[in-house]
Amino acid sequence: MKPVLEMRKITKLYGKAAAVSEVDFDLHPGEVHAILGENGAGKSTLTKMMAGVVHPTSGQILLNGDEINIRTPAEAVELGIAMVFQETSLVPSMTVAQNLFLGNEKFFNRIRGTNITAQQFMQSLSFDVDPTQIVASLGAAQKQMVEIARAMLLEARVIVFDEPTATLTPEEKRHFFNLVETLKSHSVAVIFISHALEEALEISDRITILRDGRHVVTDKTSSFNRDRIVQSMVGRELTQELYENRKTKIRPAGERILSIENLRVGGVVKNNSLSVFKGQVTGIFGLVGSGRTETFKVVSGVIKRNYRNGGEVILKGKPVRYLVPAQGVRDGIAYVTEDRKIEGFFETMSIKQNVFAGLMGKAQLARFWLRKSKMDELGEKWVKALQVKSVTQNANVIELSGGNQQKAVIAKSLVQEPELIIFDEPTRGVDVGAIAEIHNIINQLADEGRAVVVISSYLPEVMQLSDRLLVARQGKIVEEFSPLDATEEKLMYAAVH
Amino acid sequence: MLNLLRGRKLDQQIIVLILFILIFLSFAVFLPGFISAGNILTLVRSVSVLGILGLGMAIVVIGRGIDLSMIATLAVPAAWVMTLAGAGYPPVLAILAGLAFAIATGVLNGVLVAYAEIPALFATLAVGIGIAGIGQSGLFEYDIVAWPPALDSISWIGRGVILGIPYSILAFLAAALVVHIFLKKTRMGFFIYALGDNLLAARITGVRVRPIIILQYVMASVIALFAGLVLAASSANMDTRIFNLTWIYDVILVVVLGGIGLSGGRGGVWNVIIGTLLIGTIINGMTIMNVSFEGQNLVRGMVLLAALMTDSILNPRNEETAKQGDI
Repeated sequence: MKPVLEMRKITKLYGKAAAVSEVDFDLHPGEVHAILGENGAGKSTLTKMMAGVVHPTSGQILLNGDEINIRTPAEAVELGIAMVFQETSLVPSMTVAQNLFLGNEKFFNRIRGTNITAQQFMQSLSFDVDPTQIVASLGAAQKQMVEIARAMLLEARVIVFDEPTATLTPEEKRHFFNLVETLKSHSVAVIFISHALEEALEISDRITILRDGRHVVTDKTSSFNRDRIVQSMVGRELTQELYENRKTKIRPAGERILSIENLRVGGVVKNNSLSVFKGQVTGIFGLVGSGRTETFKVVSGVIKRNYRNGGEVILKGKPVRYLVPAQGVRDGIAYVTEDRKIEGFFETMSIKQNVFAGLMGKAQLARFWLRKSKMDELGEKWVKALQVKSVTQNANVIELSGGNQQKAVIAKSLVQEPELIIFDEPTRGVDVGAIAEIHNIINQLADEGRAVVVISSYLPEVMQLSDRLLVARQGKIVEEFSPLDATEEKLMYAAVH
Repeated sequence: MLNLLRGRKLDQQIIVLILFILIFLSFAVFLPGFISAGNILTLVRSVSVLGILGLGMAIVVIGRGIDLSMIATLAVPAAWVMTLAGAGYPPVLAILAGLAFAIATGVLNGVLVAYAEIPALFATLAVGIGIAGIGQSGLFEYDIVAWPPALDSISWIGRGVILGIPYSILAFLAAALVVHIFLKKTRMGFFIYALGDNLLAARITGVRVRPIIILQYVMASVIALFAGLVLAASSANMDTRIFNLTWIYDVILVVVLGGIGLSGGRGGVWNVIIGTLLIGTIINGMTIMNVSFEGQNLVRGMVLLAALMTDSILNPRNEETAKQGDI
């Protein structure tokens, strides 16, 4: 079969550094082609060159055998190459139909006419979305349907998905996979970029793996398994036990450090009760919207607990109610956020300064003057302890990769010597190599006798790390499992039903 | 690309510094009277008050705020100090009363921004108008308050000259030193950078952000009072109608031109000094050239635009730099 899109010896340089270096890539109509690699491997850059967002330094792009030069994203769309970004590009306040025809409206635009056309078009794709609905009221999966429909309406022959499943719940993911099948049946070629290896294994026909901007391997999906992918991605054997799903040893529960009774937060958390013990990792599994994050934001003081009917939070036998996180930090609670860019790190500061900010945030260490020597000493210590890799000592955190940024945020919390550490989605947007290292850190903290909470919607993660597994659903903890007898199916069943 | 990012502050500083030297030299060569001792003294004196105000504004802007009430806080508490001293109260008491007034203004600004969560632009605008109103309706008999003889013991801060250097420029340098030490060497200063960079992260890290926001506005107000006393001492009176002028824009111009980003968390005292020198020279040169008030505003606007454009050409902020780490 003739490839619909082909890239030959494509290279993109930023200054002297190559983001993509002499990569060959081809794509057949009606196939799902997964591109995998660590953060910084060049996946995004490669696809952005197809979509006209980034321009190649050298090399050729061929569409149906003809060499093309894509200058702008609009040109790429005209040529039939569409990209669906992580952040949706729909206008939230408009209806589905209006979004579908955005930019292609007739001069005299009839609302009823567009609605009918949109309805017919959505039906032809068997997408179940009402065209008169406002986009803001749609779920993540439905928004994706609209984006795909828009691409199809513009007669896209190639659709690139950048991390399409990151924001979806498992049900929605299932739905997304069905959408991809529909696209295949319309002989659209799909490129799928993801961190979730299982998904790539499940839906793709071929897999291409990139490492440090270079092409490592392209092969049929059936010839891959998880180990082979990970090995090709990182170029080294990972410590095997971390990737074994089964946990064989459970740390015994220490002293009860935290108990939550009938906690209520808005309409999200409803009468939630749970306990956390020292020397253990308590895993909280739940889907987005199950109130897991809100519960622990109240514990750490990020959200204020409702005074009259908010329930109780008992820390080391004493009821507490925090107005600001500073009080939680003082009492030895650290909250490592799920959204490090928004509330995690200081982007204009170096790693050292970020770590130092953590130290000074703890009230007991208050002093009037800054001590630069202390800052350097601490910075070096933590960079070494957590293996943060950066170009230079003074690189700003914003210049680091996702995994290293996460480690900097963790170091900022650990320098406060917390007794209770709450990790919210600790490995979201983190490259494979760093995931293992962050898991090591978490295990080490529990071994030291601290209480660790890991909130995650990634099943293998909670199953590997936890000594106790709690499942949250609709604002409360509904079931507790021992990791020895928990299975992915059982956990998922508890989380959705 | 990384090197360019790291040299960001320095780049703009150096550009503005070179610009200042070029403009200063060309004025000195082409503008008769510019380089005379009398004019340099005027320039330095006007620049020093602007610079002191810029220091206060810099603290607030680094903490991702803005203080539009600074000119009112420069005029009213300082004029009150003079009125009280003129009415026979001991100078120390008068100064303490003025200080209390300035601190109260700062606390009010800070509370409105930090606790009531009103955008700083509007909160400080309203407070500024209110303070000016209080001054004009209640505290002073005339719009122009004269420097009372009772305060002559401290009039040197605006008038005196030591070794040919006016005290007002020394006052600016002293204030610059104090602010520099505060920002770079103390815990509170570090926190101001931290919350200007990322307020939510600072909060989660355990910084009590609201008291620090109040602190930054209090510092700005106290610095404005200091600037007011220097200004009044040097011109022997305080025209409280100064609030109606567009001076506050010059202060913001100094801060932004010097390279302290309005997005917070960046820059320092050096940026203020360089920005002050440039703006002071341009304004002074234009005054000598008899450029009309409207013409001066035009030039100031162009200078600000040019500064912002140079910055964005040197440090393009596209998708690639915004999403660092995900190449």
